[in-house]
Amino acid sequence: MLISLDPQDTRPIYVQIVDEVRRALVLGTLGPDDPLPSVRDLAVKLRVNPNTVSQAYRDLERQGMVYVRRGQGTYATPGQADGVERHALADGVAQRALHDARRNGLAVDELIDAIRSHNNKRQKEESQ
Amino acid sequence: MTSPLPTRLRDGDLAVETRGLTKRFGDQIALNDVTLQVPVGAVYLLVGPNGAGKSTTLKVLLDLVRADQGMAEVFGLNSRERAPAVRANVGYVPERPDWGYGWMRVGRLLEHHASYYPSWDADYAARLAQKFELRLDRKMGVLSKGQARRVHLTMALAHRPPLLLLDEPTDGLDPLMRDETLGVLADHLAESQTTVVLSTHHVEEVERLADHIGVLRGGELRAQMSRADLDAGLRRYRVEVPDAWPGVASLNGKVLRRVTAPREVQWTVWGPEAEIVQKLSSAGGTVREVVPLSLLDATLALLNPND
Repeated sequence: MLISLDPQDTRPIYVQIVDEVRRALVLGTLGPDDPLPSVRDLAVKLRVNPNTVSQAYRDLERQGMVYVRRGQGTYATPGQADGVERHALADGVAQRALHDARRNGLAVDELIDAIRSHNNKRQKEESQ
Repeated sequence: MTSPLPTRLRDGDLAVETRGLTKRFGDQIALNDVTLQVPVGAVYLLVGPNGAGKSTTLKVLLDLVRADQGMAEVFGLNSRERAPAVRANVGYVPERPDWGYGWMRVGRLLEHHASYYPSWDADYAARLAQKFELRLDRKMGVLSKGQARRVHLTMALAHRPPLLLLDEPTDGLDPLMRDETLGVLADHLAESQTTVVLSTHHVEEVERLADHIGVLRGGELRAQMSRADLDAGLRRYRVEVPDAWPGVASLNGKVLRRVTAPREVQWTVWGPEAEIVQKLSSAGGTVREVVPLSLLDATLALLNPND
């Protein structure tokens, strides 16, 4: 699992870390019972305040995505990569798309139509 | 009704506290009634233009400069009356690293410095020297600004003091060494119980480390708050408005910036988001976007409101 942060993203850093872990769970790059990096290692790698990493890990634990083995570290909870997290991930993508649509003065239906037609076009291109 | 910018933190244990600090240099006011509050364990970013009083504030904490009025405490110790005890608890990287010792070799200076601090961690000092690529046989006087800065960072960190006062810690460093320094700081914070007060012009570099911010301008502390409060309270609103729009009477917040163009206005406002959106909408505007600001943009808006 790679965790990287987008400098353009203005959401709180701990939220971005939580989202990266959720994505790794859904994609399978973080498997059941796989260890997460230690707070110290991730803080150093991302140049982030270690308290922020701890906050993200506490949030992940509260949401049931990871569990803590005392004195050993933080691990991915098995069976979390299915429905719920996938849904949460899709919800985040939808939120960002809607935000962008609103900024551009587009209605929801226009956005959904545009996504469908763009996807059709792309599938046609790929099948050629 | 407006929401003033906060200048006081909520209750909690403070590592650094000043009350009503005032300092004049001749007819120049360097500090004007500054009440700084740095919670234990915080990474407190002090921002402001040159001459705002950032360096003077740090020096008063160490009793290197004496205030005309007000008081300063570090871990409950009065900076003026207990200066040696305060300094024993502090790792300091000065803005100008040229304070004497020009004739001394870097290695000898580190040994000399170590002898003052019982908590000096020689292994850690050696690791830092390696990370910072210090050349121990060079004399301090011939070092570049960046090289001297790295020596000072090593001296400040290696005794693992409970408080770090870092005045422009990445100034003069090349981009690689800046990045390395941020990693060293993140590692240090994970390993040692440390409170940090840091002043820098490179806000974007420490965006991910800082959890509190103080905004100094003209010797006055204009705002002081936690990042959580800043993130929750400050927003940029982009609004479509009709032709010849009369404007909005009050926004229930403190407007820091307003940029107007035909049929479009952008506000940067400190205040409750829902109420502000509602005010803008009921005044006939279409709110297209509400976004939080990066720390750099927030700093610019707080330092230089144009409304």
